[in-house]
Amino acid sequence: MWDSAVVALGMFLNPLHLCMLLVGTIEGVVIGLLPGMGGTACVAILLPFIYQMGPHTAMAMLVGALAVVHTSDTITAVLIGTPASSASAATVLDGHPMARQGQAARALSAAFLSSLIGGFIGVIALTLSIPVARPLVLSFGSPELFMLCFLGLGFAAFLTGEAPLKGLVSAALGLLVGAVGVAPSVAHYRYTFDQLYLMDGLPLVCVALGLFGVAEVVDLLAGGGKIAERMDLGHGWMQGVRDVVQYRWLLVRGALIGVWVGILPGIGASAGSWMSYGHAVVVSKDREQFGKGDVRGIIAPEAANNAVEAGDLIPTLLFSVPGGAPSAILMGALIVFGIQPGPRMIQEHMDLLFTIIWSFALANIIGAALCLALVVPLARLTAIRFDYLAPAILIIMIFGAYQSSRHLGDLAVMLGLGLLGWGMKRLGWARPPFLIAFVLSNPTERYLWISVNRYGLSWLTRPGALIILGILVASLVYWFVSRKRTKPSETVQASSEWRFRPKAVFTLALMLLLAAAAWDASGFPFYAGLLPLVVAIPGVAMAAGQFVLDLRGRDQKDEVLDLATSEAAASREGTLRALLVFAIIVAYYGLIVAVGFRVATLVFLVGFLRFLPRAGWGRTALYTAGMFAVIEAFAWLLDMELAEGIWQVWP
Amino acid sequence: MKRIGIVLLGGVFVLCGAAFHAVEAAQFYAGKTIEVVVPFKEGGGTDVWMRVMAPYLQKHIAGNPKILIRNIPGGESIHGVNQYVQRFKADGLSMVATSATNYFHSLLGVKAVQYDFAKLRPLLVNPVGGVVYAAPNLGVKTAADLPKAKERLVYAGISATGLDLVMLLAFEILGQDLKAVLGYEGRGPSRLAFERGESNIDYQTTPAYVASVVPLIKEGKAIPLMSFGQVNEAGALARDPAFPDLPSLGEAYEALHKKKPAGAAWEAYMAFNAAAFTIQKILWVKAEAPVESIKAVLEGVDRLQKDAEFNQKAEKVLGGYPALRGDRLEAAIQRTFQLPPEARRFVLDLLEKKYSVVVK
Repeated sequence: MWDSAVVALGMFLNPLHLCMLLVGTIEGVVIGLLPGMGGTACVAILLPFIYQMGPHTAMAMLVGALAVVHTSDTITAVLIGTPASSASAATVLDGHPMARQGQAARALSAAFLSSLIGGFIGVIALTLSIPVARPLVLSFGSPELFMLCFLGLGFAAFLTGEAPLKGLVSAALGLLVGAVGVAPSVAHYRYTFDQLYLMDGLPLVCVALGLFGVAEVVDLLAGGGKIAERMDLGHGWMQGVRDVVQYRWLLVRGALIGVWVGILPGIGASAGSWMSYGHAVVVSKDREQFGKGDVRGIIAPEAANNAVEAGDLIPTLLFSVPGGAPSAILMGALIVFGIQPGPRMIQEHMDLLFTIIWSFALANIIGAALCLALVVPLARLTAIRFDYLAPAILIIMIFGAYQSSRHLGDLAVMLGLGLLGWGMKRLGWARPPFLIAFVLSNPTERYLWISVNRYGLSWLTRPGALIILGILVASLVYWFVSRKRTKPSETVQASSEWRFRPKAVFTLALMLLLAAAAWDASGFPFYAGLLPLVVAIPGVAMAAGQFVLDLRGRDQKDEVLDLATSEAAASREGTLRALLVFAIIVAYYGLIVAVGFRVATLVFLVGFLRFLPRAGWGRTALYTAGMFAVIEAFAWLLDMELAEGIWQVWP
Repeated sequence: MKRIGIVLLGGVFVLCGAAFHAVEAAQFYAGKTIEVVVPFKEGGGTDVWMRVMAPYLQKHIAGNPKILIRNIPGGESIHGVNQYVQRFKADGLSMVATSATNYFHSLLGVKAVQYDFAKLRPLLVNPVGGVVYAAPNLGVKTAADLPKAKERLVYAGISATGLDLVMLLAFEILGQDLKAVLGYEGRGPSRLAFERGESNIDYQTTPAYVASVVPLIKEGKAIPLMSFGQVNEAGALARDPAFPDLPSLGEAYEALHKKKPAGAAWEAYMAFNAAAFTIQKILWVKAEAPVESIKAVLEGVDRLQKDAEFNQKAEKVLGGYPALRGDRLEAAIQRTFQLPPEARRFVLDLLEKKYSVVVK
């Protein structure tokens, strides 16, 4: 085994080989930055170029890109609170508040370092587990996989903060939105309203981007000003390094969680970073700062998300069962070279396996170095007036989201969830439970159904399943005990007057949504309707409870583990401004549907710049020209499709 | 002399005609780009198939057109084909690559389907096969032993309306009880389920079988029982050329029941099996595309079949099956889509009664 490792390493002496690794890594860093593109896009884009290469060089390039996506996506997550890929949504929670407090440099350097080390731990775990991978993966049957999903959902409960009702309703909504599309148990389509687009379910990228990205951009615009009013650059950089040293064990545990989630196919990268985040919250004694800029909330998920990609290579290469879309493409690329991944990889292509491992490790270093070098200039972005940044971000988001299935529905999903996400953020509803539940909705239902169908109830006594259940119970107990100890008795004065408040309208809307979902589910075939009903009915009850609390004005202190809205944005004027921004974005979307991406973007961009930051014509022209140059370059270089309208006047 | 003159003149005419056609065909694609719609995500089976084919098609189609792959995934892969039919011109510059699921939707009469394969012309067809194998603890050595299996047969599948339908129909025909646990994410996870003992009977398509199941067989952890068989040009079920030593389902039936299979179930099996395997991957163009464009591509496929480098490199992707000229299989393809009404009824009833699926 080790001689193959040396042979594979020796190949990097070939300048072409190294050069392609570099190309892949740089591409990965750039695409990782763009909201909505993520791992799938970054590997897919490189796919057409692999024909001219040998398998080793091609793998170096593809793995180079895959390895760094979750390093650079942090930048967008931290600076503008927008998850560039769904796996970086957990980083938004603490990374973005830190940026707003002027600690962007600290947050970024801690994140990159965690990514780097997490990636390394992932690679080492990957290498060591090659000989034992088969029994390891095979020891996890459907009941254990279900329990693992259940553990993830349990972690969602920890992230509800001090408003448990809202958190649980949020999780219920996530599970139901995740249930859109074909049911895993019976080939029945749920909540698709005869729309072909909805049959495969909602794309995760668009959901995460809407829930966090659109919501954040709107909120920042409503608040006015810059992302950070003051900045702490050089000093913060070193502080980030010190943070990583201080929380080194958290980092290691986070990375191991990531590797584990990666090795088990069917759970996914974003679940890995959320589980790691949830773990950080559970084991921390002082939890008050989570969601407000706690550096541990960056280290844990960042260590996990690179490690997930490394772990994912195990099922992909040794079982030809890719855990995520990017590794599926990697597997496709191997097949292009006539290499069918499977158990024979170890005997026949050990050198290739090590090329992949080395590429992953090297790319991690290059990627992290590249990003670290960018920390200071990037952190300066937070000092720019946000209304100048916003249109570019919105355009890139729309461009990126459209790549997930090249259907206008992608944009509608992003905007719809943007509105929901903004409402939740504004009114103190935690969004993490929603996203975790959404991500785990399908695997949970799938493995529960399979377990029951295959084993009846006897699966509940399987030792593996019991161990995972034990971990969840132990975490819950620890969480409750330490919560009582640290939480001061901060009782909230219940106002006795019953009054109809705007937030009650929101709660009522969610309640009606849940009720409609339950009513619709009652018409589904039994097995397809079971999960929606089990989720929606208690959901309605909890939403009703929250509605009563809202009417009584009883939850003033809402300690929610999520980003808070700034004071300026929370004012009445701020809310009106946010609604105006939404109206503008919806109009932009309408224009895209009508006349296609290019014309719509031109109108939107010029209009936005002239009326919001009131930019002069010179600046507007320059900005517009620059923006179009970037879009056209991307579309041309990478053969990307731009959204087409009904009356396409201009290609 | 006169006759020789006529023959010569005729020969010149034929040659000129051929040369003219060759030039015409070359002119058609010279400097042009063919856009191929793939209704699946990047990295999926059909996408990889098309991407492996693309450089060779580029080389062998006269005029060396650039081939651009346009993935339009989503909507159960119905969306991409619908888009092709509705939005792309019949100019020979756009094609669509389809897979078994697309045919299943059409065969089952799914309402969202807006395409009709009778209005498309197949250019390139790639068959694949499937092999059924069992766990050793069933004590089954051949398909004929199935009634004596020591445990109830448990099969891990994905969805009753997908490729699993062929497996379900096969056991329906054999008259063997099969507990189908459906809901797995794909054929890979369902193979894992077999390996860890969650299921005890499974099938894999040829490439995955060769890469992942053959090693299991060598270790004594799996026993091959039969192949689904290939539907030949005469419309009969033959052994799979990739597995000449394994009986086809038809032979397994005869060994079990001592008679030839017939009836609605069998007709349904023949259509769905052909759709799933015999014609699994097809590159189509709209029937109204210019005749010279279709001719140029078909001639390109002819040259492609003789390309030694292609045959060697593409072997694993094609799973040991030849890449075939579409026009030669047109009759077989169109026959597949003429599913007799009673056979469709049989399938819809089976889905509804046994798997509570109502096709919409």
